[in-house]
Amino acid sequence: MKQAWLWILAGLIALGAAPEPGQAQTGAAGTLVVGLVAEPVNLDPPQVTDLNSNRVSRRIAETLVTFADESTRVEPNLAESWTISRDGLAYTFKLRKGIQFHDGTPLNAEAVKFSIERQFNPDHPFNKLGKYPFAAYFFGNVKAVEVVSDDTVQFVLKEPRASFLSVLAAGAASIVSPTAVRKHGADYALNPVGTGPFRYVSWERGQRVVLERNPNYWKHPVKVERVVFRPIVEDQARLTELLTGSLDLIVGVPPDFVAQLENNPKIGLLKQVGAHVWYLGINNQKKPFDDKRVRQALNFAVNKEAIVRDVLKGTGAVSRGPVLPDTWGADPALKAYPYDPERAKKLLAEAGYPNGFATTLWVPESGSGMQSPVAMSTVIQSNLRAVGVNVTLQTMEWGAFLAKLRSKEQELFALSWMAGAEDPDLVVYPLLHSSQWTPTGPNRALYKNSRLDELLNQARSVTDQSKRAELYREAQRILVDDPPWVFIDHEIQIAAFSRRVQGLKLHPSFDLRVETISLR
Amino acid sequence: MRRYLTRRLLSLVPVLAGVSVVVFLVLHLSPGDPAEIMLGSQATQEDLARLRAELGLTEPFPIQYLRWLGHVLQGDLGRSIWTRRPVLREVLDRFRATLVLTGSALLLSTVGGIALGIASATRRNSFLDRVSAVVSLFGASMPVFWLGIVLMVLFSLWLGWLPASGMSAPYGGGGVVDLLAHLILPAVTLGAASTAIVARLTRSSMLEVLGQDYIRTARSKGMIERAVVVRHGLWNALMPIVTVVGVQAGYLLGGAVLTETVFAWPGVGTLMVQGILARDFPLVQGCVLVVALSFALINLAVDLLYAYLDPRIRYE
Repeated sequence: MKQAWLWILAGLIALGAAPEPGQAQTGAAGTLVVGLVAEPVNLDPPQVTDLNSNRVSRRIAETLVTFADESTRVEPNLAESWTISRDGLAYTFKLRKGIQFHDGTPLNAEAVKFSIERQFNPDHPFNKLGKYPFAAYFFGNVKAVEVVSDDTVQFVLKEPRASFLSVLAAGAASIVSPTAVRKHGADYALNPVGTGPFRYVSWERGQRVVLERNPNYWKHPVKVERVVFRPIVEDQARLTELLTGSLDLIVGVPPDFVAQLENNPKIGLLKQVGAHVWYLGINNQKKPFDDKRVRQALNFAVNKEAIVRDVLKGTGAVSRGPVLPDTWGADPALKAYPYDPERAKKLLAEAGYPNGFATTLWVPESGSGMQSPVAMSTVIQSNLRAVGVNVTLQTMEWGAFLAKLRSKEQELFALSWMAGAEDPDLVVYPLLHSSQWTPTGPNRALYKNSRLDELLNQARSVTDQSKRAELYREAQRILVDDPPWVFIDHEIQIAAFSRRVQGLKLHPSFDLRVETISLR
Repeated sequence: MRRYLTRRLLSLVPVLAGVSVVVFLVLHLSPGDPAEIMLGSQATQEDLARLRAELGLTEPFPIQYLRWLGHVLQGDLGRSIWTRRPVLREVLDRFRATLVLTGSALLLSTVGGIALGIASATRRNSFLDRVSAVVSLFGASMPVFWLGIVLMVLFSLWLGWLPASGMSAPYGGGGVVDLLAHLILPAVTLGAASTAIVARLTRSSMLEVLGQDYIRTARSKGMIERAVVVRHGLWNALMPIVTVVGVQAGYLLGGAVLTETVFAWPGVGTLMVQGILARDFPLVQGCVLVVALSFALINLAVDLLYAYLDPRIRYE
């Protein structure tokens, strides 16, 4: 009997301790260990929809153009320069010479054509590989990708779209090695090859993804030898690992832990407003919300400062409109609606609802970019009740919630947006242009304002950024006067790191550029 | 015996078929559309329709189910909607880690529980017996995730004795010691409730047996007390203990889902949670099937163990 137990114990240990291929030392000199809130899903860039996969995959593959560090200005990357035709339809890129993918394949116009075309051309041999969720949204407007010469590639658009450069800076537009895609087929997502600062080494399911430094990286020397990304779903576990030194860096610090970390001298914190907007959607076509005064009243009634302070514990910045603050498209003169319940009541009375009304607010339980939807909605509910608007909360599962919004039966709904939000066109147009009404597009507020439509159309066809900014500033003034939603907040991303970590910067796009890090 | 074994193995077929139908229906009837979740809020109507067709979600349930079943019978559990990897590979990759965790927890609860139970039974109403009663009550009533976090904060954060999570170091070359260090907290967390239950049951079962005539006979023959307790007492008290251990094995397999999530243990549990959140139907179905199969096999093993322990039981 006693011996049997020993055998079982020995067996269990052997089972657990069996070595894995492609193993790597943790804690070795030069290894940066990053804690993620969940496991990456897929490392094929155009198939990536979640931040965890995105943060890993962008280390491996790069884009033609990119956002400058800490801003949303587009700058050269794999392409050293570009020209845009006068009609705004042809974008011609000159590629940097001498860059190779990690597998030795040269970066050329052919590779660019391959990487982008497979996403939207159904006849492309590798179109069937993935689900490419951004294909229609980002590249639906692309007519053709032409190889002009080995190092020159041209995109021809169906209609002018001034945000196209920002689209090409998105992760989905990453350039991957055609050799590797041909070789691995559907398994490419598990064997990614790009030109980026790190090479893919291994992915132990449920445990970690290991990347190693690309010694031939073209842009700048990479200081850390390896990066290990570890998924740790449980907040307390992730935090404990950081505090005990098993992790060097975590992103997605839960609001409740912020104060605790701020007071810890061993931990550094970095904050950055992200390209994200959380809004209380309003069905602009339904009574009583078709009255502008009612929508203004809702904006006065909600205490956004309290939500940001008490629910989000400072992990959100009060939003004045849909456009990311402090960027080239934002209007610095714009003011957020102040919290003023008296004014809200007055406006409701003027609109013919002196005793308020009853309505329903649809809330997803969770969802990408949704922060703390239920807690935030509960505050909104009590704020609105205070001005006579009786709100019933209806919480739903994320997928069911998105499906239900296509019914157009919503009255109020809690939703957020981050896809391409670095460029105003990629937020305001899909969410508020009248051609984008659900179910065809993401304008789930069914908002229509002909002057706004006109401005947004115009802003798409001029490529001069200062002119575009002027148009978006006017658009924002319209949206504040005739609000389609109640603007709530922009998520502030927070990274917490040990004092080993030097030189980390956070980017508004939620990208985590660990290649700038050196370890002490 | 062989006939019994064959019959029992065959009876697994309808059980697993039943499980597969229930899981299939529950998943497909619950709200939440995998296409909506995968494509997110920027998805167009056309994209969604195309993806649903591609995933075979537009066909009626019976057709979807039969197609899936047909593949399963050929050993193909399908491809995960999310990762696009074969589900079987995905599940088997993780199953080893789950086995290590549940196995250790079972070992802990069996050895620890029986030892604690015997100690309490032989020193009835002693200080040890009372302490054991309190500890058992505590162990049986702690929710797994709560206990896990408390242990983690205590032993990792404050005392710094054990790593908080993730069996990642041993695969990185840490060896057996490192594996054990990573294993202790999750195994204790998962095994606590079972240990308590086994201990309480062992105690009462032992007390009953120790009151029997043959024990008195053995003692009066002058047999040493240890031999009386173990050979005559424990051996005869073992039947209900084996039953409860078998039940606990199944319970541990279920409890592993929570424990794995808390400690970032790379097992089937975390995979299943991930699959559920992503409405990854094939993946969740695969996980449930594999877990259900292991559960059924454990029950079978318990039944066979009966026959071994109690020669009066004969299987026809």
